[in-house]
Amino acid sequence: MELKIGIPELTRALARSQGIVEKKSTMPILSHVLLEARSTGELAVSATDLDVSVSGTHAAEVVKEGGIAVSARHLFDIVKSLAGEGKVSLKKTANNHLEVKAGQAEFRLVGLPGEDFPAMPKFEKVPFVPVEPTTVLSLVERTAFAASTDETRYNLNGVFFEPIAGLMRLVATDGHRLSMADAVIEGDFRLKKGVILPRKGISELRKLLSEAVEGAEEKPKGELGFADNSAIFRRPGVVLVMRLIEGSFPDYRQVIPKAGEKVATLGRERLLQVLRRVSLLSSEKSNAVKLELGKGNLRIAAQNPDLGEAREDLPVEYDGEPLKIGFNAKYLIDVLTVLHDADVRLELADDLSPGVVRPSGEAGEHFTAVIMPMRI
Amino acid sequence: MRAIVHLDLDAFFAAVEQLDDPGLRGRPVIVGGTSGRGVVCAASYEARRYGVRSAMPTAEARRRCPDGVFLPPRFPRYSELSRAVFAVYRRYTPLVEPLSLDEAFLDVTRSRALHGDPESIARKVKSEVREGTGLTVSAGVADCKMAAKIASDLGKPDGLVAVPPGTTAAFLAPLPVSRLWGVGRVTEQALRVLGVTTIGELARFPEQVLVERFGSQGAHMRALAAGDDPRPVVPDEEAHSIGAEDTFERDLSGEEALLPTLLDQSVRVARRLREAGLRGRVVTLKVKYGDFTMVTRRTTLPRATDDAGEIYRSIRADLARASPERAVRLTGVTVSGFSAEEEPPAQLDLLGTPGASPPGRVGANAKRDALNAALDALADRYGEASVRPATLVERAPETLRPAIQWPKRGGKG
Repeated sequence: MELKIGIPELTRALARSQGIVEKKSTMPILSHVLLEARSTGELAVSATDLDVSVSGTHAAEVVKEGGIAVSARHLFDIVKSLAGEGKVSLKKTANNHLEVKAGQAEFRLVGLPGEDFPAMPKFEKVPFVPVEPTTVLSLVERTAFAASTDETRYNLNGVFFEPIAGLMRLVATDGHRLSMADAVIEGDFRLKKGVILPRKGISELRKLLSEAVEGAEEKPKGELGFADNSAIFRRPGVVLVMRLIEGSFPDYRQVIPKAGEKVATLGRERLLQVLRRVSLLSSEKSNAVKLELGKGNLRIAAQNPDLGEAREDLPVEYDGEPLKIGFNAKYLIDVLTVLHDADVRLELADDLSPGVVRPSGEAGEHFTAVIMPMRI
Repeated sequence: MRAIVHLDLDAFFAAVEQLDDPGLRGRPVIVGGTSGRGVVCAASYEARRYGVRSAMPTAEARRRCPDGVFLPPRFPRYSELSRAVFAVYRRYTPLVEPLSLDEAFLDVTRSRALHGDPESIARKVKSEVREGTGLTVSAGVADCKMAAKIASDLGKPDGLVAVPPGTTAAFLAPLPVSRLWGVGRVTEQALRVLGVTTIGELARFPEQVLVERFGSQGAHMRALAAGDDPRPVVPDEEAHSIGAEDTFERDLSGEEALLPTLLDQSVRVARRLREAGLRGRVVTLKVKYGDFTMVTRRTTLPRATDDAGEIYRSIRADLARASPERAVRLTGVTVSGFSAEEEPPAQLDLLGTPGASPPGRVGANAKRDALNAALDALADRYGEASVRPATLVERAPETLRPAIQWPKRGGKG
């Protein structure tokens, strides 16, 4: 294998692999990236942890075909450190060493034979559906934050993807709060039931989607499909495959309250600022804030026996019964941060029943956040 | 000089049975476990004439008193009357230290201005208890706890023995050393070897020798013998734990055999928690094996509970860690760690945690509390056995010996 490639191009290719390679794996090759020079004038860079795999192709001046696997982190560090827009040459030498040359700098990296690298999963006849990266990114950003990080609840360690005719719906929950977002989409994923996309895969998907959205391409396009218990996202030059979480997602519809009787409308940005300020004095462990809803006014208060207390009032459109309810401020802040709408609706029932946050107006039909209160 | 009154209800459980059923008056009544391993909880004075004593195996009591009326204990009723009696005590002083349902110390030092001398206070308490409940209580008055307790015992039943201030040592002197707290059979024997049989002899014995023989305990014994007992009356404290335990008629082994009893114990503990208005977070399983060795397994719940189901789920999980396959003689369930008034904020669950309540947890909590309240109302009206888990329907309550387990008081809990 021998080739020359632009330093920025290779940096981007290797950056994609960093989130996937295993730092502490019992299989050393999983900390490696696979480099493959193809006669078509491309360098393919692949990384996998056996559950999530990403593979991208990049234009390169290929002198000699072939492949080698090298430490993903070290090659990335080297390439990052090479200054400028110039080119770097990569050459496989005897005993699976990779020679990296740029300007006067020379590195020889110990590698492993390319053939030892796990093969990228291959699928036939995947029913791909074209998706707008902007749309999917927006769905992911408004839901993934609510997924559980508690590994004992593996069926919550991801984002639930539910195929509903004409809709793409993502739902995530950690058992205390839940976030659900819908977008109109054309096409049929031919899924019999919902599937759970793992958190790690979702986070890689997000990177690829952001790349596409921020990229120079005028109308970024992508395709999403499901096959053999895997989800596949691809766009020209890159493919991401993730193994789905086996397990059943809880019946999320059951925990979404019907339209609450106490509905308050208030400015999102203002509410977010007040929560950030007041929660500075809530206990670090519980992060509890108390909401006191009255006619036209919402008071948010926090107290911490060791620190002191804080409170702030903000105007609100509300003329129902007064209510006091406690919430983990972080859960509210998380939701308000991922929304972009000017106003939000807070729908409550009583101090022990779940509260709902959604954008006010029509946008509220496509997003629902449910947050369980804290008993205070 | 302090004024301490010790009050002890006479043959309490048996007296309650005779009170509630006039047909039992004048007959030997024995309250206790009626199973093979049961022991006597209380014996009426009529039964005591046959040599029946508390803590004696029921089988032995039956042999001594074949015509006795043997009854299983009815703790809720005893608790009810005990509360009424203690309410009388508290009219005279807030310094009431309960030792059990039927026994208490009162410090009336500062009540004298209002209620008269200690002896009159004791007399008034006795008559108020009799008028209010129909029960008789024996009283002992002295300037320290130990002498007051010995005095009340000397006058039983329905007695009133007052030790005048400054005569405590003289009062104690002729009594055998076994009357002293902390002097058991072994110590009594050891003292006899030294030529000490009465409390007076002990009070005069050289302290040096006692310390050499018994260590610091020796000095303590001698001080008590001299009437020097500075221990204060510690007023009623909140219970620190609530538990239930049972000794099996014969040893059981295996989860299947033990779980019904643990369910029953969980139900009883939960009921008593609710009666006391308490919720606890720490659930403890106690298992005593056939060889009398014992283990405890403790679990801290995410939140305080007074629900039998929640307690039982925790206990069931604990049992797996307590070698249930061994021969088990006794099991016990205790809940402690009662929530302080200011509970830290608790995040509620949207989905419910595995093994805990089903989804919609808060709704379920409110429903469960309402259900428990309804069950309590039924039990109050129709008795504890009116509504029971189906698993326990077949179990006759007599198969168990309810061990008396009082709420543990401050310090020990």
